[in-house]
This record gives sequence, structure tokens and C-alpha cells, in this order.
Amino acid sequence: MNRVWTGIRANVSTFLRTPLNVVLALLLPIVVIEGWGQAMAGLPSMPTVEAIPIELGRLLGAIFGVAIIAGLMGLEQMISARAADRRLVQTGYPPRTLLATRLAALGGVTVVVAAVNYGVLWLTISPEAPVLTFVFLVLAGLVYAFLGALVGALLPRLFEGSLVVVFLAMMDAFLSGDSPLAADIPEFVEYFPLYHPKELLQEAMFQGTYTTGDLGFVAGYLLVLLVLVTVVFGVTMRTSGGWSA
Amino acid sequence: MGSSTTTTPEGNSSEVLVRAEGVEKTYGSRLPFTRSVTVLTGADLEIRTGEIVGIVGANGSGKSTLMNILVGVLEQDSGTVERTGTVGWCPQEPLLYDRLTVGETFRLFGSGYGMTAEEIDEAKHRLASKLDFEQYLDYRIDQLSGGNRQKINLSIALMHDPDVLMLDEPYTGFDWETYLTFWDLAEELAADGTAVTMISHLIEEQSRLDRIYEVRDGQVYDVTDQEGETDATASERGEETDE
Repeated sequence: MNRVWTGIRANVSTFLRTPLNVVLALLLPIVVIEGWGQAMAGLPSMPTVEAIPIELGRLLGAIFGVAIIAGLMGLEQMISARAADRRLVQTGYPPRTLLATRLAALGGVTVVVAAVNYGVLWLTISPEAPVLTFVFLVLAGLVYAFLGALVGALLPRLFEGSLVVVFLAMMDAFLSGDSPLAADIPEFVEYFPLYHPKELLQEAMFQGTYTTGDLGFVAGYLLVLLVLVTVVFGVTMRTSGGWSA
Repeated sequence: MGSSTTTTPEGNSSEVLVRAEGVEKTYGSRLPFTRSVTVLTGADLEIRTGEIVGIVGANGSGKSTLMNILVGVLEQDSGTVERTGTVGWCPQEPLLYDRLTVGETFRLFGSGYGMTAEEIDEAKHRLASKLDFEQYLDYRIDQLSGGNRQKINLSIALMHDPDVLMLDEPYTGFDWETYLTFWDLAEELAADGTAVTMISHLIEEQSRLDRIYEVRDGQVYDVTDQEGETDATASERGEETDE
């Protein structure tokens, strides 16, 4: 029987049969995008603080919405199945194939989450380059999906792992988004996971272009995360010469 | 002292399928204010074709640790484990994917064993009929009772007709009828040459076992000829032991 297809189907079914996942994926974008946009637009009421446009606020909300949902999905997928994964690997299912099916399912879910976020964003803003905007939203989601999977593989506790992903995504979106509330943003912020996806998205949205350097940075980020999550997952699934048919 | 593990693909009749020698295991911790726990200090045992082998011992004696090392899901610190043939492992807690249906669970684990879709289907219906869970094939694992979940847990270990079965208290939650069916099945498998190894706590089961190993003080003792009177069984009755 085809292991890859069976694994992907199992992972997607598991996701869809967890109601909280579906509710979060469908409802959170509306709350986050509009909430972030309105919060940014309201800043002039604070003395000495200059507002960023509401459209940019909504864009930051969208990128945060995709990142946090994809990150939490990646985390949950790795943690909830950890014990059963070890048994599956013991039967002879290769750990790399198992990881590949999980990341493939995660990629599919990320595309759907990005589509929902893009749809909500599209209701209020007309992007200059719609396809690029969507693709870069997907890339932001993938970065956090892989990051969530890495945190899940390293820290196999749902509560603690969720705190890490949520706080990381919040600080990341806040600092990477040129927030007027952050007094002095350090230079290392450009190494944060969302910094370059946000640059790509902002350029595609408002100017219809993109910078190759930003795209290369995101591709490199994804590659490094993929290698790290593969190594960590491989170590956690290691058996002493497992017996298989 | 190092550890090594050897796995040979095929087994022959009347031979040792699993041989463990000098197996040691300590659960260590790098965190401060935590302690290391030494569980096995040189365990030796052999499991042969067609035998029903019981592993007994007091709570915390290291039975599950030993079985996990024999299966290969836990690495020993030192000592050697040689294995021949294929294994079916039924862990103490059902390690299954809660959101998958019973049928999907068979497909996923069957693909792990390298079975074809037809072989998986045949095994699913054979075991569902034998252990009486045919009506639950479309149910999700998290919608099953504890006993039915344990039936699936056991079936996953059996579905590929392994040469060696490693069962960690496989009948937890079974009703009486299923318990008897389980023993019929174990005896049938042993008669066909499968080595059945199980962790057992029940004194009355010991008459059904061909060989009994007791895990005590980090070592494994063959207590087959001691008529079931082991330290573990004595302690279960609340008697003092000379441990």
C-alpha cells in the first residue's frame, strides 16, 4: 500500500476531525485582520505616536493570522501524535516519509489558511499583485508551520509549546511590522521569521513587485527549518535497529 | 561497555528468535534536582519459536523497559539484543491515532508493515471477526470504549502474522469472553510457531505459559520450574519476600 498517500490522508483527516482547528482557521482571520487594522488606525489618539495606515495594519494582521494558525497547527501535529508515531515507525514506516506526509498535509492546510486570510484581506484592500500577495502569505504561513513543527519536535508539551509559538509570533509580527509603538527596533529583527515575508507581502500588495533578496532569504529560512525539523524528528523517532517486516 | 542490536529478516522453526545478553538500562536526567533510575543491570533471556513466554515482576521492576528494548523502541545502555524474523508489538497503553477510524488505522499501520491493500483488508476482517469488533470498523479510535481500543491495539500487533509477538498486558479492559478468545488465539499462534511473549500479572495465567521470566533487582531469572511461586506473585498476595 502506498505509504505516502496513506500518510497524507491520515494527517489531513486528523486535522479536519479536530473541530477547534477548523474553527480557528476560519474565524481567527476575521478577528485578527480587522482587529490589527483598527488598532493601528487608532494610534493617533496617543500623543507623539504616528499612525501607520489601516491597510498596512490589516496586512500585518493577515500575516500574523496565517503565521500563528500555521505555527500552532505544526506544533499540535507533532505533539499529539508523538507516541503513536513511534509505534508506526516501529512497524517499518520510515521516519522521513512520516515527516514528509505530515509536512505535506501541513502545507495543504497552510494554503487553505492563507486563502481564508487573503479572502478577508481582499474584502477591504485591492492588492496590486493578487497572486504574489497570496503566494507570499503562503510563504509566511509555511515558515511558521515549519517553526511550529520544530518547536513541537523539540518541546513535546502542548501548553509550553503553544506559549513559545504564540509569543514568538506576536513579537515577530509586532517588531517586523515597523510598529510605531516599538521605540528603537534593533537590526537583528531582520533575521526574525516574519521580517522578509512581511517585506515581500507589503511590496506585492502596495507596489505589485517584489525583491529577489527577500525571496531568497525566505527560501533559505524554509530550507534551514526543514533540515532542523528533519534532524530533530529523526532523533526523536530513533529506535535501536527497529524490527520490521 | 557498549550496546549492539542485530536484526535478521527471516526465522526458522525451533530456534531462538530473540536473545538478550547483559542488557543494562538506566534512565538518566541532565536536569538538576532529578535522579537517575537504574532499571536493568544485566538482563539475559531467550525467546524461541512456538513458546508462550511470560515476563513477570513487581511494579516498577522493569518489565516494560525490558520489552521495549526487546522490541527496539528503546535503546539499551549496554548489552546485546539479537532478533530474527518479524515482530508484532502491543504496548501497554494503546498507541493509536485518536482521530482515525479503525479501518484507517489498519491501513496506516498495514502500510508501515509493507502489506498490500488486499492483505490489510483480509487481516482487518479476520481479526475483527475473531475479536468481535466488526461493528466498529467505521468508528474513530477516540469514540471506542477502553476494551475495544485495546482490541485494536492488539490487532495492530497481530495483523501481519509476525514471528514474534511482544504483548505488554494485552488483555487490559477485555471482558471475560474476549479474554478467553485472546488465550485461544495466543495458543493457536504458538502452535503455528509464533513466539508469544507477554507481560503478565495474573497468577492463574502462569499455567498457560511455557516459560516464565521474572524481572527482579535489575536481572532476569528463569522461574519456569518454580510452579508459579515467584517473588512477584507472592508480593501480589501481600506476602513478605526475601528480595
